[in-house]
Amino acid sequence: MASKQDELFRFVEYSPENAERIGYSNYSYWRSVMQNFLKRKSAVFMLFVFVGLVIFSFIALAIGKYDWATLVTNTDLAFHKPDGEYWFGCDNLGRDYWCQVWYSMQTSVKLAALVGGGECVLGIVIGCLWGYVRWLDRPITELYNIINNVPMIIYLTLIALIFRGLSFPVMCITLIAFGWLVMARNVRNLVFMYRDREYNLASRCLGTPISRVLVKNIFPYLISVIVLRLALSIPGTISLETTLSYLGLGLGIETPSLGILLRNARNYFVDYPYLLVFPAVVVALITITFYLLGNAFSDASDPRNHV
Amino acid sequence: MVKYSITRLLQSAVTVLIVATIVFLLMRALPTDYFFTEEEVMKLTEQQKQDRLEAAGLNDPVAQQLLRFYNELLHGDLGKSRRIRVDKPVIEIIQERFPVSMKLGLISLGISLVLGIALGILQVLNKEGPLDHLGMIYTIFVNAVPPLVTYSLVLMFGAKVLDLPSMFSKRNELQSSIMPVVCLSLSSIAHYAMWTRRYMVDELNKDYLRLCRVKGMPTKDIMIKHVLKNAFVPLIAYIPASILFTIGGSLLVERFFGIPGMGPLLVDSIGRYDTPLVQGLVVLYASMSVIGVFLGDVMMTVMDPRIKLTGKGDTR
Amino acid sequence: MKKKGTRLLALLLAAMMVLTACGGGGEPKQPDTTDTPPATTDGETPSTTPETPTTPVTDNKGEPIKDFVTYQTATAEMETLFTLYSESAGDLDYLTNCIAGLLEIDNRGKFLPAIAKEWETPDEGKTWTFHLRDDVVWVDVNGNEMAKCTSKDWLTSLEYVLNWHKNSGRNSSMPRMMIAGAEEYFKTVEAMDEAEALELNCDSDLFKNTVGIEAPDDYTLVYHCVSNMLYFDSLAVSAALMPLNQGQLDAVGVGSEMNSIENTDLWYNGPYIMTEYIQNNSKTFTRNESYYDKDCTLFDTVTVLMVDDVLMGQQLFMNGEVDIAPLSESNLRTIYGDPNNEWYEHLVEGRPSKYSYQAHFNFHKKLDDGSEDDNWNNAIANTAFRQSIYYGMDLTNYWARTNFIHPEKCENVAYTMKGLLYFSDGTDYVEHVWEKIGLPDGRGRYDATKAQQLVEQAKQELEGKVTFPVQLDHWIAASNQNSLDQAVVLKEIIEAIGGPEYITLNIRTYATSLKKEVTDFRLHCWSFGNGWGADYADPENFLFQELYDDAGALYSMNTSFINEATDPQLIEDYKTYTAMVREAAGIYDKDERYEKFAEAEAFMLDKAFVVPVLYQVNWRLTKVNAYTQKYAMFGMQNNMWKNWETSTEPYTTEQYTQLEAAFNAGN
Repeated sequence: MASKQDELFRFVEYSPENAERIGYSNYSYWRSVMQNFLKRKSAVFMLFVFVGLVIFSFIALAIGKYDWATLVTNTDLAFHKPDGEYWFGCDNLGRDYWCQVWYSMQTSVKLAALVGGGECVLGIVIGCLWGYVRWLDRPITELYNIINNVPMIIYLTLIALIFRGLSFPVMCITLIAFGWLVMARNVRNLVFMYRDREYNLASRCLGTPISRVLVKNIFPYLISVIVLRLALSIPGTISLETTLSYLGLGLGIETPSLGILLRNARNYFVDYPYLLVFPAVVVALITITFYLLGNAFSDASDPRNHV
Repeated sequence: MVKYSITRLLQSAVTVLIVATIVFLLMRALPTDYFFTEEEVMKLTEQQKQDRLEAAGLNDPVAQQLLRFYNELLHGDLGKSRRIRVDKPVIEIIQERFPVSMKLGLISLGISLVLGIALGILQVLNKEGPLDHLGMIYTIFVNAVPPLVTYSLVLMFGAKVLDLPSMFSKRNELQSSIMPVVCLSLSSIAHYAMWTRRYMVDELNKDYLRLCRVKGMPTKDIMIKHVLKNAFVPLIAYIPASILFTIGGSLLVERFFGIPGMGPLLVDSIGRYDTPLVQGLVVLYASMSVIGVFLGDVMMTVMDPRIKLTGKGDTR
Repeated sequence: MKKKGTRLLALLLAAMMVLTACGGGGEPKQPDTTDTPPATTDGETPSTTPETPTTPVTDNKGEPIKDFVTYQTATAEMETLFTLYSESAGDLDYLTNCIAGLLEIDNRGKFLPAIAKEWETPDEGKTWTFHLRDDVVWVDVNGNEMAKCTSKDWLTSLEYVLNWHKNSGRNSSMPRMMIAGAEEYFKTVEAMDEAEALELNCDSDLFKNTVGIEAPDDYTLVYHCVSNMLYFDSLAVSAALMPLNQGQLDAVGVGSEMNSIENTDLWYNGPYIMTEYIQNNSKTFTRNESYYDKDCTLFDTVTVLMVDDVLMGQQLFMNGEVDIAPLSESNLRTIYGDPNNEWYEHLVEGRPSKYSYQAHFNFHKKLDDGSEDDNWNNAIANTAFRQSIYYGMDLTNYWARTNFIHPEKCENVAYTMKGLLYFSDGTDYVEHVWEKIGLPDGRGRYDATKAQQLVEQAKQELEGKVTFPVQLDHWIAASNQNSLDQAVVLKEIIEAIGGPEYITLNIRTYATSLKKEVTDFRLHCWSFGNGWGADYADPENFLFQELYDDAGALYSMNTSFINEATDPQLIEDYKTYTAMVREAAGIYDKDERYEKFAEAEAFMLDKAFVVPVLYQVNWRLTKVNAYTQKYAMFGMQNNMWKNWETSTEPYTTEQYTQLEAAFNAGN
């Protein structure tokens, strides 16, 4: 017995520094997020694809032989099939399709990003207030029900008609105004859950202001949900924009979007499938990317998945 | 429970009323020209237009119109359509349209529930396997790609390859319903599969299941008695609402295939300034959604006695 | 353990699938698809018929179609089934097949007897007498006879139309303008108490004593006009003068009850009975066995499908599901570009639609902030500036948007529609206008050199008053891709006149198809492509719309806002034009009257108050001989499916050329 003990244990010299050392695990929240995220190969791959696509949209416009702003119609070239001169062919008016697709993609991504960001900010602010400030619960719940209980298309149609069409800013504001709901509800439920945990109670007893409690104590728990919503809202916005364009309620023509290209292509795709395929593939790439990214990142950013 | 239900329904009625009021006011913010056809806008004199607006009661102060609307609503009268079908009671128009939407909606709901749940179960059983991945890819594709594109593909495939009729027709209802039903089901199958999978995985990770396994309960029993049943509870909350929503129809699908249902009615009636019809539809949609949520909650308590409905913290 | 589970679930899945199948198939479906077949009974695939140009009409191998199928797009869905209430072509195109009127029109726009077997006006249009057939009956939806159709039905209908409390003034404007006492009766009744007004009918003393209509017996009908109404017969083919039986009113009710009438409650005296109506899906019409005209050619059934867009219609035609399909540009291009295409030989060109399309300038434009757009207003008030646009627009590409194979067929250089009015020697009124503006063929207004001179002249005259380039705001519906495509073409056309430094066209958008959200605020520079369809056969119906200082002049009041313009020269010219038109309107000798009108029209065109831009001539695939269809520029009857020559085989281009030649030769 004694000999075994000797093998397993030995004496060490007393060292004052080591005695002061604490069990620090070198944990960093964001590093763990990144590590977990990088493990999802498909998501990382799609991220590269998307970034590549955005960068390429600029390159494409630069290397394209035609500029969107100076496109002219040419009936002889109508429905010209893709070739060396017109890489994506020509549309029904004989205009180069290549620059239209990439230009539209930029519009759509810009719209989706702005709407996603806006929804995010508005949703978090309202969600926090909703969950934390008790007397606001009732009014915000009412507001939520009012917007949520009617198909959004009613409000969108009415606004489109009142504002004489949805210009880019109006479209952004409208979509944000009706899009914050889901985010706010998710945030609210989480805030509700963590608000009365003991450590928050303690924090409040120590006199921490509400804003600090929200930002420092509760907010980190929300990140995963927020990222997920943000990522899902981008494909959502793009889908919604195509649907609105189809109904004639989309963006004006001075801002060509993928939705408008798709709507137009619908009339021709049986005979000229490339008019549908190019924008559709671009849309699908963007939306699928964000879908995957969102899921991967939200898993990665959930502290419960770390360790 | 009863008291709670009553309060909650009363609250909902107030919500519906507020929604109707907001839409009412928004409608009145539209220029009255929408009230006329393009030809009428061109060919009628200002006096004739004023006369028509007067006759339709649209020249009265908004407050007065609103009071009249409330009064009619109290008497269960939704008014008469103006432009979709001149002077036909709104209720009759809705009655004519909703069975069509509902029928297609219910069929596709049934299909998507069965296929979706089955797919979800298969994915769980084959977790991280090829089937699971296939299911995931399907879910992602259907969720991410805009419906307009998906429907175009279905239409192209259905019409060109399978030679299915591309127009809905009462004479050939079975065949001509196939493509609409497929379009309606595509995304909801993915939806139900995703939720089934998620809830089942959550359930599988619970401690009591480990106990079941340890005590030697057969997988079959575990799956049916515990996992599926418990995973079903959150799903079931959505079902009443989904059933009610079939009444509303799908705007895109019904436009696409020329189905005489409720879907396009709303946008058409707004575009034609058919105020009574718009208001009728809004009241209908808002009530459906409120009732759907409420029924969902009730069903949840029925399925799972642990859940209790109280006035507190049940905002969804 | 895992395997077992899988098997179980697979079983479960299989069971569920079976259930689903039942769920899908167990729905109550109408089993009989053969009861009323979707009309294409032609089994043979369209063979490319070897053409031996003999008699032009009969060389098509097909049989006449018995069950005709056509389609419409959703935007034109019917709003009411009550003829007297409806003022929209969307309704009347179908109702004309249900209700027969006094007269009919033929394939050249001339009048034919219908229920009135003879009619005359002994005093230059002051009184009109119609002698009716005695074998016309009203039937219900099942074909049961409900009543005889007599002259009294026209009294009933006129009373109904003129009674504000019954018909809200719908369709009343033309009768009030033309029939003696109608305006007075209308005003009196409008001022009446509702209950009292609803009591009125054609036997009431008020109606009898006020309105200039009488029925000496059951089959004679006399109208008295306010003045010499040379063109009263045009009213006889419009909705306002369609008959209405008192029995129908007694059965259904008046006002909203009639407006919301169902096809099953309607009484029919026309060639077809509307046997099924599913809103936003389809309408079915069945031949009326009791229709008075036993010798005419009618289809057994006509089905009208509702499709989302024109493209779908083409697909349906190619599948043999419909019998006529206008072609969209893309489809036309595909077929036209490929001589091996199955449909290459079947491309046919239709006749012009009944609208004469114009561009109207706005003489009182405002900016978005509501202030005056002086730059535009000064420029457009200058005659040379307007003329530079008038002569300088090379519209070929614009016409190609409508018809790229023969764009020149779309050229329109006159204001009044051709084929509407004929001098007594048979020449078209519009040909006289063409001569007066120096384009005897009606072709070739574009003149680059002349335009260049005018550009220079305008630049000189406007020096200091106007900053070039002049900004031209062109408004289109945001949702409408077609108008966008046109606008892009127009921008190129406009900016080619004197270069982009002369005029710049800005494409701007509004939300819906209703232009009023722009024109109410005077935001437009011009209103491009307004189509005016005639209400009745007289030049005044067109030329009155441009009068100066006249509240009834629709384009002056709503589009050009000429009454608010300030330029003295412009106003002077407009006043001259107005005086010319008014002088012509006071002449009751037809030829002299038309000649004067033609002079006024030529003056207006020379001053370029408006710019005629287009006739609509479309390509299509069809099994219908368009030259046998009714073709009038006014009235509600163009879509009456009567005496149509059809073939189960689609017509070929060559056959259609022969048909056109034969038709023109018969002129």
